[in-house]
Amino acid sequence: MTEASFTRKFFVVLVAIIFFLPLWWLAASSFRPSDSIFRYLSPIGVYTFWPDEWTLKNVVGIWDSPFRLAIWNSIIVSMITVVVGLALCSMAAFALAVLEFPFRNAVFVVMVISFLIPFDAIAVPLYSIMRMFGLQDSYTGLILPGIGNGLAVFLLRQFFLGIPKEIREAAIVDGMGWFRIYYSIYLPLSVPAMVSAALILYIFQWQAYLWPLLIAPGAEYKVAAVAIAQFSTGYRTDYGLIFAAALFIAVIPMAILTILQRYYSASIAATGSKE
Amino acid sequence: MTSSKSRYFVVLAFLGPALLSVFLLRLWPAALALINSFREPGGAYGLGNYTYIFTDPEFLNSLKITAIYSVIVNPLQIAIALALALLMNAGMRTIGFWRTIVLLPVAIPQSVSAVVWGVALRPDGLVNSILNTMGLESQRFLTSPDQSLASIMLIVSWIGVGYWMTFLVAGLQEIPKSLYEAVKIDGANGWQQFRYITLPQLRRPLTFVLVANTVANFLVFAPVQILTQGGPTGSTNLIMNEVYSQAFVLSDPSSAAASTVILVAVALLVVTIQFRLMSAGEDRT
Amino acid sequence: MKKLLWLSTAVFSAATLILAGAAQAQEKTTITFLSAEYDATFKPVIDAFEKLHPDIKVVHQSVPFNDLNAAIESRVGQGDSSIDVIEADTPRISAFASKNYLLDVSDRADAIKAANPNPTDFEQVSYNGKVYAYPMWTSTQLLFYNRKLVKAAGIEFPSGDPSKRLTWDQLLEQAAAIQKAGAKWGVEFQQVDRYYQLQMLFESAGAGPGLKGDGLMESNIASDGWIKTAQWYSDLFSKGLSPRGVTPEQTDDQFMNGEVAFMIGGPWAFGRYDAVKDLDYGVAPVPYFKDGKPVTPTGSWALALNPHSKHLDAARAFAEFASLNAEGNYLTVSANPLPPTNAEAFKTYANKIGSETDKIGPAIDIINYELKNSAVGRPRTIGYVTFETVMNKAFSDIRNGADVAGTLKAADQQLTRQLSRLR
Repeated sequence: MTEASFTRKFFVVLVAIIFFLPLWWLAASSFRPSDSIFRYLSPIGVYTFWPDEWTLKNVVGIWDSPFRLAIWNSIIVSMITVVVGLALCSMAAFALAVLEFPFRNAVFVVMVISFLIPFDAIAVPLYSIMRMFGLQDSYTGLILPGIGNGLAVFLLRQFFLGIPKEIREAAIVDGMGWFRIYYSIYLPLSVPAMVSAALILYIFQWQAYLWPLLIAPGAEYKVAAVAIAQFSTGYRTDYGLIFAAALFIAVIPMAILTILQRYYSASIAATGSKE
Repeated sequence: MTSSKSRYFVVLAFLGPALLSVFLLRLWPAALALINSFREPGGAYGLGNYTYIFTDPEFLNSLKITAIYSVIVNPLQIAIALALALLMNAGMRTIGFWRTIVLLPVAIPQSVSAVVWGVALRPDGLVNSILNTMGLESQRFLTSPDQSLASIMLIVSWIGVGYWMTFLVAGLQEIPKSLYEAVKIDGANGWQQFRYITLPQLRRPLTFVLVANTVANFLVFAPVQILTQGGPTGSTNLIMNEVYSQAFVLSDPSSAAASTVILVAVALLVVTIQFRLMSAGEDRT
Repeated sequence: MKKLLWLSTAVFSAATLILAGAAQAQEKTTITFLSAEYDATFKPVIDAFEKLHPDIKVVHQSVPFNDLNAAIESRVGQGDSSIDVIEADTPRISAFASKNYLLDVSDRADAIKAANPNPTDFEQVSYNGKVYAYPMWTSTQLLFYNRKLVKAAGIEFPSGDPSKRLTWDQLLEQAAAIQKAGAKWGVEFQQVDRYYQLQMLFESAGAGPGLKGDGLMESNIASDGWIKTAQWYSDLFSKGLSPRGVTPEQTDDQFMNGEVAFMIGGPWAFGRYDAVKDLDYGVAPVPYFKDGKPVTPTGSWALALNPHSKHLDAARAFAEFASLNAEGNYLTVSANPLPPTNAEAFKTYANKIGSETDKIGPAIDIINYELKNSAVGRPRTIGYVTFETVMNKAFSDIRNGADVAGTLKAADQQLTRQLSRLR
């Protein structure tokens, strides 16, 4: 790719900074004593975005609290969801895009409908179903609803449909089984789509709130999104802790996402595609 | 390979787990919710819940607000995401880092984003401070029935456009350079390249983003719950807020079930239309 | 006779526990306690309880306040036995009790009354003549004022004597003057737009709680009294005495930043206000409407038992320790300074707050007086949550400048519709 012009680079950085401003305020506030967070809102001054009094109390307070465990739980749940979910969804997408069988379109429509269903609305009936299987307060209970993601299946199927059928026809002629075709042909060609699907699965779990609240409210399995809401009780809200917690919650995806950006540049090198 | 028994087995092996999880964890509870929607308070079965919600000014208002919101916010966010994707598809060593920054808002819990923006949009908050320094009057944002929905749109867009941009960037990266080179030889300018190469080649990712974004926007809830609770005067009462309120606050799960059914039906309709429109004329392998 | 009964019950329960403990060969019973507070709040009482009962382990599960209802509805409502003790918000007790989410503890009514003598507290945990929870905390409101701002306007500090309390008219006059002298805001309510906070206005004006009729299930919010008082509330904001757009979580910060002259708030604010270095504040009784009577909000959290619990004895022991036992009840407020309901515990609490008197004024005397004389609890009805939701939205709209009569009338219609779904 040709090197971008200076103007272009300038705008890239400018836009990114504009997006980042609220997050910067959040980060700066987490290093302020909680009681001075709202002091410099207006008029805008130096201290609006730069604390006049620095303190590590909030950050340390978070690190030493059960919140640390909650972050860990979120990481575990999201990671496992991504790994298992990618396998499940890509295999389903493969079946729906490549294999021929009756009612194929109907099944696809059913999958699509599933992601239209607002999770919040089925949380309560789902809870009673899960209770039947004794899955409260467990990683399984947290992970299961996240692995069959209709949106990810939709995305991957779209992508698989774009891979020319000549490739697989050639493989069939060569005597390759379906699983090998899936594994050694389709998957390697689909790295960008897989990364996108991974993002979908990951964000679903990372953001999930009502479901983890119902199924795993105990401290042992609590996830970060729920734990962070606890810093406001009916009597007071400690914004310093909330923002410090948010900082932790944001740093991890930031690291992961920066690494994953590399894979978006993977070009479709296989011959015969996208002519 | 050719026997139908082994064919079905293969299909089952590939499709089975995902289908099972979707069925058990989405469709079955949804079916339960659907059945609940026909159970009126008092125990009888009938259309009573539906009659109730369709004569309920709150619910009807939430349908209206959701419609206005969707019609504005979906094209807006897609356009911004596309513009960002084009901008951020630059040859720059550090481009991955800048893209991540724009994507980052989606990784923050929505409750926190809502609080941060709530503070920024306060009458004495940061946004008004900036407006004042530029010589503009302070705005009421979330406390005004006229500006509140737009404020919610702002917040939701800040959270989401980076996410959608990411998918479009992936799409842009897949467009072969050879196509651009071919038309450049014919003397096409930037705009023509965009219209005749980029857009058509982005059809699949754009369809995906459009559909997914529309659905996500039907489900917007956290910023409304935290910042406005549907007000002022119901101007931000998006439908998921109404459903949550019915289910968990007003202890009226039957209405909530009926409202959800309506929501899903409308979403399905809209998504089907979008899908048809975008797929018109596309080859299918 | 009662004492003997109580004593023998206590001995019997203790004996049962000991025997059960022995029979299970020192096996621990684990009970789960669901609340909306920080772990740190209940740690002292849990630790003390576990020391007294080495065979019971109490696991505290905390959910955010706004989601406690959802958690209780979906877990207790589904017959889940995984929660044993519930922290119940007193106004919600009627609704929960009517749905059988709470165990009937009327058999302990006498013990409860003995330990928590304030009749308002007892009322708050009752429904339909039966008792469903153990009182734990109560609340009241005070008028906090910023001494520096008041002095700068040349105004006398409000008196700490309840018989000399200001009327609202007097307060607003002073607030306006203080604003002219440079304060950013004249008066602020700590929990703006919340029925808990604002009920006192309507009660003081004689307009009633907003509900009437059998079971308090009929809306009365479009009455003349309500409209008049709501208009008064709306004027505070349209006249610029009070700020718009600030959420209840952020009001304390404004007072702490020295921007507000008068703040109507609860005693839990002491902890935060005391920690601010240059905030010189005092306390006085809250104002009242001239032709009405002084009213303060009250009621707080209580402890209830899940009827589906598999460890009712252990759960009961814990709840009773935290309510009927003076030391236990006091420990629940040691990390969260609210007035406890237990009379003996209150004495300890009073001593602690009493030490502040020199600095800020006779806070404990005011608290004592209000709890005994002017406290009016929230309406006890199964429609409370619906009512509160509609009201809070209406208050918010009124605060933002919507037409008062129109808003209340629309809310009245909506409330009537929604209450009809609950019968």
